[in-house]
Amino acid sequence: MRRGALILAAAALAFVAVAMITGCGSSSSAGSSSSSSTSAGSAKLTVFAAASLAKVFPQIAADFQKTHAGAQFAFDFAGTDTLTAQIEQGAPADVFAGASTRYGVELSGKGLIDTPQPFATNRLVVIVPAANPAHIASLGDLAKPGVKLVIGDPTVPIGTYTRTVLANLNATLGAGYSAKVLKNVVSNALQVTSVVSSVELGEADVGFVYVTDARSAGDKVHCIALPAVAQATAAYPIAAVKSSSNAGLAQQFVTFVLGADAQALLKQAGFGPPPK
Amino acid sequence: MTMPTKAGGADSGPALSLRSGGRATRAYRRSARRAPAGFVALAAIAVAFLVLPVVGLVVRSPWRDLPADLTAPGVLTALRLSLVCSLSAVAISVAVGVPLAWVLARLRFRGRGLVRALVLLPMVLPPVVGGVALLLAFGRNGLIGQWLDRGFGITLPFTTGGAVMAETFVAMPFLIITVEAGLRALGQRYEDAAATLGAGRWTTFRRVTLPLIAPSLGAGVALAWARALGEFGATITFAGNLPGRTQTMPLAVYLALENNLGTAMALSLVMLAISLTVLVALRGHWFHPR
Repeated sequence: MRRGALILAAAALAFVAVAMITGCGSSSSAGSSSSSSTSAGSAKLTVFAAASLAKVFPQIAADFQKTHAGAQFAFDFAGTDTLTAQIEQGAPADVFAGASTRYGVELSGKGLIDTPQPFATNRLVVIVPAANPAHIASLGDLAKPGVKLVIGDPTVPIGTYTRTVLANLNATLGAGYSAKVLKNVVSNALQVTSVVSSVELGEADVGFVYVTDARSAGDKVHCIALPAVAQATAAYPIAAVKSSSNAGLAQQFVTFVLGADAQALLKQAGFGPPPK
Repeated sequence: MTMPTKAGGADSGPALSLRSGGRATRAYRRSARRAPAGFVALAAIAVAFLVLPVVGLVVRSPWRDLPADLTAPGVLTALRLSLVCSLSAVAISVAVGVPLAWVLARLRFRGRGLVRALVLLPMVLPPVVGGVALLLAFGRNGLIGQWLDRGFGITLPFTTGGAVMAETFVAMPFLIITVEAGLRALGQRYEDAAATLGAGRWTTFRRVTLPLIAPSLGAGVALAWARALGEFGATITFAGNLPGRTQTMPLAVYLALENNLGTAMALSLVMLAISLTVLVALRGHWFHPR
């Protein structure tokens, strides 16, 4: 009778292992997608890109493939801080494209990537679910007690930008505004896409995201624009990773992203031009 | 040494030779003890693979900064919240999981296999998927959640209650499967005997069944607790991430990993210590010296 229990306990342990593997796998690569690599001999580029680039980068890659037949892409879309930490720990990336210049500077300072070049900018916007359960009509309503606000964690770029914007808004909406709004935060999301899904699902009453994310969410969310004086401009850096085994192609892709075709796609997705 | 007799089966050669005794038995025992070619080397690889990461964690951790890392305010908050949530999850699991284990082990009804498969599903489901499922059921616009919200003003996502639910969802199946196995292994003899002596159903369960399955229950509780404590995916998906409310230890480790490696390692060491304690507590159940 002991053996039966033992076998089941062993089975349970095996399940623990499986659950942990799947758990870790799905959480660390959340939002990542990879294009299949059928031809083993062809050049493959692993691109680590900010979560906010998840829609537009595959389009840019497809455009790139028109002139570079045989180039295969694998994307890892995540919070820029996660990508930075992964590259620092030796993850096999060829191209880094982040949502904050800070991380580009950090990585190039450590000699891990080439000099980062800004390729796009983004702005912030407030989104509410289409049903707008908390009846938010203006930025002032964000400070009402009981509003469920989801913003980025301070460790991810969108979280930093959001806090900057809130601090900037104190000038027009009163000194205590940002403190009152931050009291309404119910969750610090690990990437901007999680903020969008919380609002889309109607679990959050309001969230701060990039203009580009709000655009791709379509009519599931309504936007409240931020005054220009309070805006934070997110600059996106791109660079080839120094340890890349495909340095030539990685550099070509970086150049392509800075070029006219890719810039047109970025503009279409709502991104601003890189700062001059 | 009863195992080979059972494992051999009635119609297989070695089992028959056992009966003849003498040399054949000894030869059988020797061959049963000798590993198939390569097994020892492969086993060593398995051990190295499973143990080395833990060694890495212990060796690379900044032990000197440990007191400072561990007393940082955020760390204690996360630890306290993790303990509260995981113990609540275990308490709920015991309260409803033990009765379910009993029903699955003792009652015969149509669809029992289906019920068992469904309630054990969270064990093999990726936890993030579990979190999404919880949102769609108990979220503010979920199947049951919208009714809870409108009827009682209860919203679960982004609350400590939500974190407890997420942990219970992934942990309870481990308790159910362990306790059910204990009940099946026990059989019904003692319960039948108690009944013939006039004990009521509840008395039989409390005075006879429960003490006899105590080791299984202990193992189930420890397993469920460890799983609840380590829960990440369902928690962040369903309950979000807010220090003091829903940011449990695994979430704190994940976030610290990206700005403060020292804190991340210190937190990981705490989790490791807790896991080791669970294993030590279970040694009587899992590691019988044979």
